[in-house]
Amino acid sequence: MYRNLLATLSASMSRSHASRELKWMRESLCTEFNGTLTPESVKTLEDMVSRRARGEPLQYILGSQPFGPLDLIVRPPTLIPRPETEDWTIRLAGEISPTKASPITMLDLCTGSGCIPLLLNYLWPSGSNHAICVDVSQDALNLAHENAVRCGISVEFANEGSPTSTKSASILLLLDDVLRSNFPERLANLGEPSFDLITANPPYIPLAEYVNLNSTVKMYEDHRALLGDPNHTCHGEGLSFYRAFATQVRRYDLLKDCGMIVLEVGENQSDEVQRLMLNDAKMQRTAVWRDPWGKERVVVAWKSTG
Amino acid sequence: MSHLLDDDDPNMRSLALEEYKTLESTLTHQLDVVFPSLLTPQSETSHLSAILEIKSGVGGSEASLFLGEMLRMYLRLAQLRQWSTKILAKNELDSGGFKDAIVEVNGEGAYDALRWESGVHRVQRVPATESSGRVHTSTVAVIVLPFSNEVSSSEPLYEDKDIKLEVMRARGAGGQHVNKTESAVRLTHIPTGITVSMQDERSQHQNKARAYQVLKARLLDRKLTSDIENRRATRRALIRSADRSEKIRTYNYPQDRVTDHRLGLTMMNLTSVMEGDGLVDFINALQEEHDQTVMEEILLT
Repeated sequence: MYRNLLATLSASMSRSHASRELKWMRESLCTEFNGTLTPESVKTLEDMVSRRARGEPLQYILGSQPFGPLDLIVRPPTLIPRPETEDWTIRLAGEISPTKASPITMLDLCTGSGCIPLLLNYLWPSGSNHAICVDVSQDALNLAHENAVRCGISVEFANEGSPTSTKSASILLLLDDVLRSNFPERLANLGEPSFDLITANPPYIPLAEYVNLNSTVKMYEDHRALLGDPNHTCHGEGLSFYRAFATQVRRYDLLKDCGMIVLEVGENQSDEVQRLMLNDAKMQRTAVWRDPWGKERVVVAWKSTG
Repeated sequence: MSHLLDDDDPNMRSLALEEYKTLESTLTHQLDVVFPSLLTPQSETSHLSAILEIKSGVGGSEASLFLGEMLRMYLRLAQLRQWSTKILAKNELDSGGFKDAIVEVNGEGAYDALRWESGVHRVQRVPATESSGRVHTSTVAVIVLPFSNEVSSSEPLYEDKDIKLEVMRARGAGGQHVNKTESAVRLTHIPTGITVSMQDERSQHQNKARAYQVLKARLLDRKLTSDIENRRATRRALIRSADRSEKIRTYNYPQDRVTDHRLGLTMMNLTSVMEGDGLVDFINALQEEHDQTVMEEILLT
């Protein structure tokens, strides 16, 4: 019976990969004692395969995505965590060693599923870090909240009324548009004006590339997590967020003196983002990290030359 | 006491004879069992878990089907011995059965017991698909690797600079542009040329972790093998399980028997072997054979 399903899946991907996807779908379903699927599961499997064949991302169909040692909940339309992001987040976890005795505060912009701050928090010693995570989408924040709970990490939604309570949870979720030029004032109101570490995987796809994206991405994932110039500004290079952020970092002094900024970037954007960090944000030093596929994926910037 | 056996008193003679028999059997037991077990050096690998790699050999789909049954046999054995198992990779075929499989078997003594399984296993039977009723011979190759979860304090098995990590599929622009699920990785240990590919898991991180696990097991296996070879360098090779291309066992269905070619031992009731219980007997016999070989070696040096 799996042969038909396999054939359906194979229409849009290699046969060997189709058989792996089918296996992952099967593993997510209830089985009888002898390992065969229950009749309801068989129906669900058929449904999963037809959804996949219509182009829905497998991660949304399965409802989860491994991210390092974590297994995160994913659901539309919040961006599915990418392996490139997983790779640099694990690397970053090894570059900084916060301790309970000298904890760090961290800001994660465009947090989406919460994958970056959650993995860092998980990999670092408990009590060694505290993060404010910002997203423009309530869907994303709700998902990040669920994921924190699933990972056993304490989490709260930012509450304007009680600005001093921010340190009680490891993760504080804040709904806001980071493109708003005075957005950092919200952070100051929460009692967190500057940070040891700022991370972001902001939307970086230029409009011209967005229109040609595979429908598996374009039709299912939030355009607010993908499209680099939501207001069709900035010459369409997809860099609106980096420009706004660079200005905010300098104007509001968002980074502590020994702090570090880590930004994921799209293909061929690293040069310009480095320039923005040095010239506009007045960082002293930058570096570029490549992803496992050899692409320049991350711009790292430091405030001090050390 | 032997003069009592010739005593004039018949009662005394029979008492002496009785005691003589008891003593003789105690002595035999001491010589055959206790003495060797005291002399046989403690296994240096007794703490190791095992990674079992099973690959189908000649015989096409019939070999793949038998591979699935062997996989089950080893999982049953692990259950009997209370070892935990995790399937690290398996390539299921449309036509049924598996092209290959890798299983982690965790537990004290898992490697020591399973190491005798390395080699070519041969199955003789009428395939389900064969209409003429002719008996086919197919083979499945097993490699058992040592594996330890603990970080060894002795010298590391590899240096990071010697490892080449490749991600297997191009992702175009990658990042936000793509939400594909392919996550295959390949590790190459440059000095030995050993490569491990892993793609069964959904994340690259997991595939990488598994690939490193298998690579470490292969490197540890090489190290153990070369340690043994170095120790025996001046002596004729005694270990019979060293050659993994050797045919070690035949599972003959029409005759309901399993023959281990190293031991020259045949056991009836093939089902019991496939259920794991009979396999225990083979493994114990191989262990005894091994201990004896080690003894002989000690006596000869």
